[in-house]
Amino acid sequence: MNATADQALLTLDDLRVDFHTPTGIVNAVRGLSFSLGRERLGIVGESGSGKSMTGRAILDLIPHPGVVSAKRMEFRGKDLTTMDKASRRKLRGRHISMVMQDPKFSLNPVQTVGDQIAEAYRVHHKASAREAKERSLSMLEAVQIREPGRVYDLYPHEVSGGMGQRVMIAMMLIAEPEILIADEPTSALDVTVQLQVLKILDDLVTSRGMGLIFISHDLHLVKSFCDRVIVMYGGKAMETLPASELDRAQHPYTRGLLGCLPDLDHPREKLATLNRDPAWLA
Amino acid sequence: MSTNSAINVDKLNVSFGDSHVVKDLSFAVEPGESYGIVGESGSGKSTVLRVLAGLNRDWSGEVDILGKRQPKVRDKAFYRAVQMVFQDPYGSLHPKKTVDDTLAEPLAIHGIRDAEAKISRAMQDVGLPTSFRFRYPHQLSGGQRQRVAIARALVLEPTILLLDEPTSALDVSIQAEVLNLLQALRHERKLTYILVSHDLAVVGHMCERLLVMQFGRGVEEMTAATLAARAPQTAYAQQLLTASEGFRRAG
Amino acid sequence: MSDHASSAHVTWRAWLTTTSPESRRQAKLGQLYRQWLAFKKNPAAVVGLVIVLALLLLAALAPLIAHYDPLAQALDQRLLAPSAKHWFGTDALGRDIFSRIVYGTRVTLVIVMLVVITVGPLGLLIGCAAGYFGGWVDTVLMRITDVFLAFPRLVLALAFVAALGPGLENAVIAIAFTAWPPYARVARAETMIIRNADYISAMRLQGASQMRIVLKHVVPMCVPSLIVRTTYDMAGIIIIAAGLGFLGLGAQPPIPEWGAMISTGREQIFDQWWVATFPGIAICVVALGFNLLGDGLRDVLDAR
Repeated sequence: MNATADQALLTLDDLRVDFHTPTGIVNAVRGLSFSLGRERLGIVGESGSGKSMTGRAILDLIPHPGVVSAKRMEFRGKDLTTMDKASRRKLRGRHISMVMQDPKFSLNPVQTVGDQIAEAYRVHHKASAREAKERSLSMLEAVQIREPGRVYDLYPHEVSGGMGQRVMIAMMLIAEPEILIADEPTSALDVTVQLQVLKILDDLVTSRGMGLIFISHDLHLVKSFCDRVIVMYGGKAMETLPASELDRAQHPYTRGLLGCLPDLDHPREKLATLNRDPAWLA
Repeated sequence: MSTNSAINVDKLNVSFGDSHVVKDLSFAVEPGESYGIVGESGSGKSTVLRVLAGLNRDWSGEVDILGKRQPKVRDKAFYRAVQMVFQDPYGSLHPKKTVDDTLAEPLAIHGIRDAEAKISRAMQDVGLPTSFRFRYPHQLSGGQRQRVAIARALVLEPTILLLDEPTSALDVSIQAEVLNLLQALRHERKLTYILVSHDLAVVGHMCERLLVMQFGRGVEEMTAATLAARAPQTAYAQQLLTASEGFRRAG
Repeated sequence: MSDHASSAHVTWRAWLTTTSPESRRQAKLGQLYRQWLAFKKNPAAVVGLVIVLALLLLAALAPLIAHYDPLAQALDQRLLAPSAKHWFGTDALGRDIFSRIVYGTRVTLVIVMLVVITVGPLGLLIGCAAGYFGGWVDTVLMRITDVFLAFPRLVLALAFVAALGPGLENAVIAIAFTAWPPYARVARAETMIIRNADYISAMRLQGASQMRIVLKHVVPMCVPSLIVRTTYDMAGIIIIAAGLGFLGLGAQPPIPEWGAMISTGREQIFDQWWVATFPGIAICVVALGFNLLGDGLRDVLDAR
């Protein structure tokens, strides 16, 4: 099931990410295909499934010695595989943006958070410092930070995890991209804070008509937050299905993954464990 | 608060400098019980565990373990009764020691003979193949490292195991294996567990009773049945439960 | 015949790189082998290693390589230009410069080895103790370290030599006195990070004594960076020794110490350039070799 062609913001066909290491080739992503419309698409998998690599491949952020290839990789009809580096770079932040897991590591510790948001704006738009600051302040309001003027001058270590993540969202959305890739955006946050941040993300994505790729290891979260879900394992998609149908998933890996989660409503003596079928990697 | 408790904590207070991290905490754990402590960051749950383990000395209050009042500095014999498993499988093993070294060390410290057999048995008990014996930590996966950490904790044959978020850093499928292992070991060896976690589902699965902590205080103590029935008495516990159920879109 | 040799080689490799070693020794050797493979990939590091090995070889085989006695004067052969007979020419007393440089490797090595052997372990232990125990132990040890660190190396070395008199042994003592503080500081900084690690807490939980933890668990983690810094430092030590020699305060004539050779050659630098230049090149090459080796070791040992 794919978004219809004229709506598709992003189209990927047979995406491959290979790392050419001295000890051999590591295939991090092996032939992933999907398209993204104005929807919330979740990519779920365990560590090593290739889900983070997928997000980075779309943004051309795969480090050396990784190599990205695809039969088709298009953003709004523009071919990303043949684009030169400079144009790819211009897309980043302006049209496709990424929010990462831990604001402790993704925010510059020696710059105030406000300056970082303003800088993110000025990279993509010609604007005076004052105008950039005004836009940053209104962006801070949009992510529901009370007292944006005060928070503007704080350093990353002075803000809590949840606030830091909201700053990150502000920074990544200020240039008004069409697609946001969120790589485990709430995994480092406390569970009560997670929901606040997700709500803000949800509201912004909906009101701006954006496409969201939500990468996570948390099946329950993705089920409740996303519209569609791709389940990845060993670099490949095991299954793609609407989030609401996740409980009735067909693929044994997805079923196995769901089955091994402890569930307050279905207490068991022993948790089911996943029997990894080598056929899934074929 | 029976005097037969395995662990009895009374009015525990812990401060780091100006920061009062645990405030007037009291609880008791019965022998053979699996007791959970749940909270978010800043709740003080890990600090409580460290106090129980004798890793922290800046506390006041009374801590009784296995019927004995505990001083701030524990003696060697204490560590044959109480052991701990840490959260981060990547930080809890010495990077330059093989699995064999890691398991042999506690035996050497306590002068226990027959180390060879004990090490093999420990590895077997946690489901690690013997071919892993001379591997270094960087040659092991997260789940395997955590198994080594569990083996290390068990090699001295303690009666109480303190578990600090033992599966938080593991993939869900590996978590299931490790939790099953911990359950099996508890039943086989009649161990007492204190499990600290932020994950209500894990605590509900592993524990019989649990304590919810917030900002250093014990907010509510309940049974696993109460948790499963979604019938907590305090607002905060209810808030945690609701949050753990996932995202709800308004309208 | 070569089949047998190559298959023996293959089984050695397999033994070293197996993922399931069967003994501590096999695991350790396998670890070293993997590090060697990583090291080999860095051409600059290999160059450094070659230079250092050449230094060791020259020092060991000096009598076989040098053609002349480095101390033998021949006043009728003074200040001869480099030729087939004297590869690097002769100095103001007719001594063969090439032979003096070759024997000079021994002097250089002695200085470097003596300094490093005393300074490395001392700095490591002081730093680890200060970092692990903290409190007054840390304060006392670090203030002592600060006192030594406050003096510029060369100036303090001069003071020592002035007090103790010039000579090779005194130069070594002088350099050692000033070389140890950085090791202590780095070891302390690393220890302060390591001591908070879970694996150290786990050791405390097993009832290990402080001494055991520091010696068996903290110190091994500090050793790789110690090795790297020591290697880098050797270049610095060589240059300081040469500096002392240049000032006439190190090894005394007629010992063929490179710095002293530059000093005696500086008067003739324009007309008989070879007297000062070749020792200078020797110092540069050896210092460079140690630096490159240090870079390579750091990439292999410190990279986590």
